[in-house]
Amino acid sequence: MDPVRHDEFDSQACGSIAPKVKACPRPKPGEAAGGCSFDGAQITLLPIMDAAHLVHGPVACAGNSWESRGTLSSGPSLSQYGFATDLTDSDIIFGGEKKLKDSIDYIAGRFAPPAIFVYSTCVTALTGEDLDSVCKEAAERLGLPVIPVNSPGFVGSKNLGNRLAGEALLQYVIGTGEPEPETVMGVNLIGEYNIAGEMWDIERLMGSAGIAVTSRITGDARYKEITWAHRAKVNMVVCSRALLGLAREMEGRYGIPFFEGSFYGAKETTYSLRQMAYLMNDREMERRVDRLTEREESRLSQELRPYRKLLKGKRAVLYTGGVKSWSVISALKELGVQVVGVGTNKSTQDDVRRIADRVGDDTEYIPEGGASRIIKTVRERKADIMIAGGRNMYVAMKEQIPFIDINQERHKAYAGYEGLLRLAKELAYSLGNPIWKLAASPAPWDKEAPPYDR
Amino acid sequence: MSRDELNIKDNTSLFKEARYLQQRENKKQFEAPCSEQETAEALAYSKSAEYMEKNFSRQNVVINPHKACQPLGSVMAALGFEKTLPFVHGSQGCNAYFRSHLSRHFKEPTPSVSTSMTEDAAVFGGMNNLIDGLENSIALYKPEMVAICTTCMAEVIGDDLNAFIGNARVKGVISEEYPVAYCNTPSFVGSHITGYDAMLKGILSYLYTRSGIESKPGSGAESGEKLNVMLGFEPYTGNFAEMRKILAAFDTKYTILGDHSGNYDSPATGEYEYYYGGTKLEEVPQAANALGTLSLQKYTLKKTQEYISGTWNQQIAALSTPLGITGTDKLLEAISELTGLPVPAMLTEERGRVVDALMDSHPYLHGKRVALVGDPDLLIGLIGFCLETGMEPVHIICSNGDVDYNEVKFKEEAEALLAASPYGSEATVHVGRDLWHMRSLLLNDKVDLAIGSSHLKFAAKDAEVPLVRVGFPIFDRHHMHRYPIIGYQGTLNLLSLIVNTILQQLDDHNSGFNFELVR
Repeated sequence: MDPVRHDEFDSQACGSIAPKVKACPRPKPGEAAGGCSFDGAQITLLPIMDAAHLVHGPVACAGNSWESRGTLSSGPSLSQYGFATDLTDSDIIFGGEKKLKDSIDYIAGRFAPPAIFVYSTCVTALTGEDLDSVCKEAAERLGLPVIPVNSPGFVGSKNLGNRLAGEALLQYVIGTGEPEPETVMGVNLIGEYNIAGEMWDIERLMGSAGIAVTSRITGDARYKEITWAHRAKVNMVVCSRALLGLAREMEGRYGIPFFEGSFYGAKETTYSLRQMAYLMNDREMERRVDRLTEREESRLSQELRPYRKLLKGKRAVLYTGGVKSWSVISALKELGVQVVGVGTNKSTQDDVRRIADRVGDDTEYIPEGGASRIIKTVRERKADIMIAGGRNMYVAMKEQIPFIDINQERHKAYAGYEGLLRLAKELAYSLGNPIWKLAASPAPWDKEAPPYDR
Repeated sequence: MSRDELNIKDNTSLFKEARYLQQRENKKQFEAPCSEQETAEALAYSKSAEYMEKNFSRQNVVINPHKACQPLGSVMAALGFEKTLPFVHGSQGCNAYFRSHLSRHFKEPTPSVSTSMTEDAAVFGGMNNLIDGLENSIALYKPEMVAICTTCMAEVIGDDLNAFIGNARVKGVISEEYPVAYCNTPSFVGSHITGYDAMLKGILSYLYTRSGIESKPGSGAESGEKLNVMLGFEPYTGNFAEMRKILAAFDTKYTILGDHSGNYDSPATGEYEYYYGGTKLEEVPQAANALGTLSLQKYTLKKTQEYISGTWNQQIAALSTPLGITGTDKLLEAISELTGLPVPAMLTEERGRVVDALMDSHPYLHGKRVALVGDPDLLIGLIGFCLETGMEPVHIICSNGDVDYNEVKFKEEAEALLAASPYGSEATVHVGRDLWHMRSLLLNDKVDLAIGSSHLKFAAKDAEVPLVRVGFPIFDRHHMHRYPIIGYQGTLNLLSLIVNTILQQLDDHNSGFNFELVR
């Protein structure tokens, strides 16, 4: 695959071609829908591991969410602490700004973080707390970046929250620091959150090709490295369309070229590495990448052989939301798994176009509808496996459908060449587990056939 | 396929390899602004007595909270009723959290929807969202009742649920008869237990009022000499089964008011339904005629109890979670008193067997110092259990312990319970504290065992204390909720869990001389 610049895409933050429907569409009332903007903003920034993340609102916005994501750290764990200002009814009436100020002071004094991110919530946005000025004042007083993240739950979807977090990084973080003069500059990885340690696999791969990572935005990141993200030579937007606006803006401000890529599947991985080298404009690096990817791909194809036999012709329904819809399709295709249904509920029109490039005509698109709609597709298309997120996992179990968790809660890293091998293993294990046979057979004294013959 | 071919390292082993360790070292250059030495010093200081004092004088920030919010409890309460859809009025992230939270604990799907309020709703009110939401969710999920609770957002802007539901009826989105119960549950007051209470009371009073039935408590004629039973915010589906077993042994008829065990322990039949089990809606008004009501979480169910004793004019036996022998004895006495039936011999026999088991294990339990975290009623039960086995509660944290029942505050009851036993003399009850406080306590005044939810694992690890997972939420262990912890059987389960954790510790940390076969 040749490297190309997708210049024809005009990237609005929530989609690139001029959208026919509104960017980051509003959620529909009365459905069992996904997270909110607060959630989205936290997800984007929590992987900055050495920073403190303080939730300004009632205790449960933090209480319901602290330490429940699988984004791994190679060192500091401050980001895993649940900090909250714990507003009560009297704070709602009389204001919680004093409490916020004191909380910031306590965290700064006790934990000495390189920065504090302060998140607004529905409550503090509605009562009109002046987050920006409290943060600004605290930052000056403490000599420490205190960054307001104005992303209350009600402003919209999770994707919008990712985007607002990106804006906070642009406004308060990127461009505020400089690397040591001898540091080799390379690529920023944007929208890669190191779920299950995927970032580490990617980083190692880039290291083998001699490509330096400048800033991780934000998987296993340290605050300091993001401050000098503007010095990178290339931005790669990994699987998060919501942060495309960040890359776009950095291109405008700092002239850093960007591309969108994925590390799911060997082909996508090779493409991404080549694209990096190409945009770095380094011939030697391009040659190194070619050698590396050829070697890795041929090694991988050897190792995949036994799995391919098992997986050939298997049919999958994919409901991951967002960009993983298309990137995982490539990975599955390489393993010989046919995608017969794919969720498009959180995908932009670009994503849908990419899906269309990768699947056949008879693949069903699932725009919305939650669990029952997905199950229906699995049944109708006689799929063998469902690949989705945690909230749908237990529904699949009830329906006795083999399942792989591929969203934020996953415990397996699927990125890069080794990741594809892991994905193959998980698919083989999930499909081949003896429990499905047991579950699909009636009790010996009960002659009734199972509802669906797989 | 041979196993060798599937030998791919997972992150547990992979990240111990030299190349990853090197990567980790390299990253330290970014870990501003502290040096390694400073970090080590700060860590050591955080474990000191001096810091503990500062930690306890902390006023304005909560670190590692141990409570969820009101609507989470409401969702659980709504799922206790047949074909009832929990409906959360607010921005949709709240609902996503509740669904994840409950699903991660029970390992089951959680049907619950949101009105997905956004900025325009913040300005103009959430009425349109509520009406559209009712229309969509009833079409999609076909519930027989909708149970609406509010979130912070709806409360702050002052949405009037009653009026909105009325307007939905006027607009013809729902018929006049269609049941819609509701309650107000802002997260900035109370916790998941208050939310549970609010929704349970909301549903009971709504269904009762609309039925037009006049309560004749103890009349028996219509109720068939029934008893009402409420388990409250109950994270153990096994506890429902245990209660059913006990009531069946008494041979009394009963109605469980709020039974979510069906939804959270349904069989894999190959077909997912949205609703499993639950209290039948038509049973609720009839429950007003019952002999009396047994409540197993008196602090949690405060308002519901007041409603039942007031409006239904019923006799109430309000207990805390019946753990341990004494706790279960109280439960059986209460049932006996309400129904007039004697305690069945089968249960007396079971009691004897569990007392025997406790005797077998007592040498390993006596004098073990324990830290406890949980909801108020669970803690009362656990304290009782510890005291009767010779274990010594030392640190007790109840973040949402600011509750009272009949003007007795949780803290007072807990302290009185502790004061009545020599094994309770070391204990301190902390109300409104968080798990960062607990960390200080564990590090500065060592214990042998911590009992609490999965959230306690971080503090327990720092202090190198083994953790027995009891309560809510338990995210990182499977199937704990399927085993009852109440009743004599539950006492046996709890005992096995605790004593075997202690025995495992002995094996893990043996000196080489006491790695014994027989214990």
